[in-house]
Amino acid sequence: MPAGTPKQMALVETQDLVKNYVLGGETVRAVDGVSLSIDRGEYVAIMGASGSGKSTFMNMIGCLDIPTSGEVRIDDIATGDRDGDALAELRNQKIGFVFQQFNLLARTTALDNVAVPLIYAGLGSEERRAKAKAKLGEMGLGDRLDHSPAKLSGGQQQRVAIARALVTDPVILLADEPTGALDSKTSEDIMQIFQTLNDQGITIIVVTHEAEIADQAKRRIEFRDGKVIEDVMIKKRRQTSA
Amino acid sequence: MIGNLGQKASGWIVNIAIAMTALRTNLMRSILTTLGVMIGVFAVTLAVAVGSGAQVSVMQSINALGSNMALVFPQPDTGEGGRRSFDRGRLTMRDARAIEKQISGIDDIAPQLRTNIQLIVAGRNASTNAVGTTPGYGKVSNLVAASGRFISEADVRSAARVVVLGPSVVTKLFGDYDPVGETVRINRAPFKVIGVLESKGSSFGNDNDDIAIMPITTTRQRFSGDTLAGPDDLQMLFVGFEDGVSLPTAKREITKLLRDRYRVRGKDINPFTIRTTEEFMKESAQVTGIFQIVLVAIASISLLVGGIGIMNIMLVSVTERTREIGLRMALGAKRSDIRNQFLVEAAVLCVIGGAMGLIFAIAGGTALTVYADFPVPIGVGVGIGAIIFSAFIGLLFGGYPAVRASRLSPIEALRSE
Ligand SMILES: Nc1ncnc2c1ncn2[C@@H]1O[C@H](COP(=O)(O)OP(=O)(O)O)[C@@H](O)[C@H]1O
Ligand SMILES: [Mg+2]
Repeated sequence: MPAGTPKQMALVETQDLVKNYVLGGETVRAVDGVSLSIDRGEYVAIMGASGSGKSTFMNMIGCLDIPTSGEVRIDDIATGDRDGDALAELRNQKIGFVFQQFNLLARTTALDNVAVPLIYAGLGSEERRAKAKAKLGEMGLGDRLDHSPAKLSGGQQQRVAIARALVTDPVILLADEPTGALDSKTSEDIMQIFQTLNDQGITIIVVTHEAEIADQAKRRIEFRDGKVIEDVMIKKRRQTSA
Repeated sequence: MIGNLGQKASGWIVNIAIAMTALRTNLMRSILTTLGVMIGVFAVTLAVAVGSGAQVSVMQSINALGSNMALVFPQPDTGEGGRRSFDRGRLTMRDARAIEKQISGIDDIAPQLRTNIQLIVAGRNASTNAVGTTPGYGKVSNLVAASGRFISEADVRSAARVVVLGPSVVTKLFGDYDPVGETVRINRAPFKVIGVLESKGSSFGNDNDDIAIMPITTTRQRFSGDTLAGPDDLQMLFVGFEDGVSLPTAKREITKLLRDRYRVRGKDINPFTIRTTEEFMKESAQVTGIFQIVLVAIASISLLVGGIGIMNIMLVSVTERTREIGLRMALGAKRSDIRNQFLVEAAVLCVIGGAMGLIFAIAGGTALTVYADFPVPIGVGVGIGAIIFSAFIGLLFGGYPAVRASRLSPIEALRSE
């Protein structure tokens, strides 16, 4: 490494990020000039009232949505210059998504659901099966491989979705209200999984309304009207049980 | 490189698997969609087969006439226009003899007088078309006696009351019994059956075996003396040529000979018409060609409708699965992946429909061949063509919905309900 190495490269970096929606001639500034940087290994909770722009922000750093202006860099890659296919590849290799509504394919087994990203990574069917099976095993679903979503509980479905998000070994896990559709007991299981994943070194960015999740994160970012109004490191970590 | 190809191949296999799952999920809809393509492919395949069957049939019946032949009729040939110096057509036995003597390359000639006759034997009766002719008729028309013999020069000279019967007439009058040597009454006069013809089957539902042959002199004396203007007149003359003789040249020579005999000058209309088998073939090829084009065009409309059905269903499918498309994009699907997924789905629908259409066409063609006595050949080529064509229809009409799906923005697709 050359001498005088600059500060560690940020994993996610946004610069004056803006997203406007035009509705009936009126412009809504959903995200209004957000500049921040998230490092490798962080566990970030994004909070804020409904409509404050959290999801819009997440979708842009997840390269699902195109900013009106400003820039998103993922792992030092400027996303603005990339076309749709290049962004698809970036999502496939570097980003895992967990959605509030799980978004599993209906009438498709847990194993096949988890293997979907590997299809687009170009893996052969044997390799896809092996990897998907291993990830489901890690999520404690080794005995549910052939179950379709309809035969799984909400918590189990979300664990399938997490396995799917992680199966390509991404550097970031983006979760938009992952426990929003779950009861509090199941939510705790999911939180536990997130904690373990972060301990293993995966960077996690999670949008949540729940204080418990926010407490377990290392950093909290608060949105209001499309702007960041608070961005704090949480020093003391809650005791992790078990 | 090879590894890469393997990945590509497995990508297609996955696309087929995804497509099959989607099709199974909406089974009823898939079946109905397939039905459209099935009917289309069925109609087109059968139309092509019926068209070529017609061609085969026509060629067969022309070949049954004898392959290298000119037909001369006593009809004024109005084709070229000009002054008409005759009140009726002209063609006599003397003309026939002159042609036979003076034109080179002639194999044999067969003058004809045709008439309908009534045959009776032991209470059974049959009516058929009698051809009064000379022994040459057997040669130019490829007719052979399966039992007994054909008419002879001696029969012609003596206007003998003898008859050679076609197999269908024999069946009607005698059943399985070989009638050679028996006597039948034709229009009340006793005739001796001297032979039975070999079967020539049927073409276009027309029974070639329903025929009787007798000496032309006998026909003239007994049946058609009063229907003809002159005692020497003919209704038709077959002129059979040896292999390799140029029919256009022969036709020109016969025309010149007859014009001289009837003293037709300049642009005046000939009192006779000459047609060659070559001309018949060309004309029928043209007619059956047009027939085939019309058939296929009509059938293609049903395939087009089937294709539009595919497009319609694929558009519905894309709309219904917008969220799935968004999810796949979020998980790393490129535009081409989404497009191929839907293309494969449309192609699978069409190929299944095409295969079923082909099966029904083969069944229909076989039924036509067996029951309607009309050859409908559905070859391997037509079959493979039908399947490839239906896959092509799938890609053509599935293309627009597939491309539309691939153009969706990932986030908008994900947000849709
Ligand atoms: N597709 C859209 N079209 C128009 N307005 C939108 C769209 N998506 C979000 N918005 C608006 O942008 C703002 C931020 O929304 P969102 O990012 O979903 O907020 P949050 O996730 O914090 O609840 C809201 O005012 C919302 O109405
Ligand atoms: Mg939201």
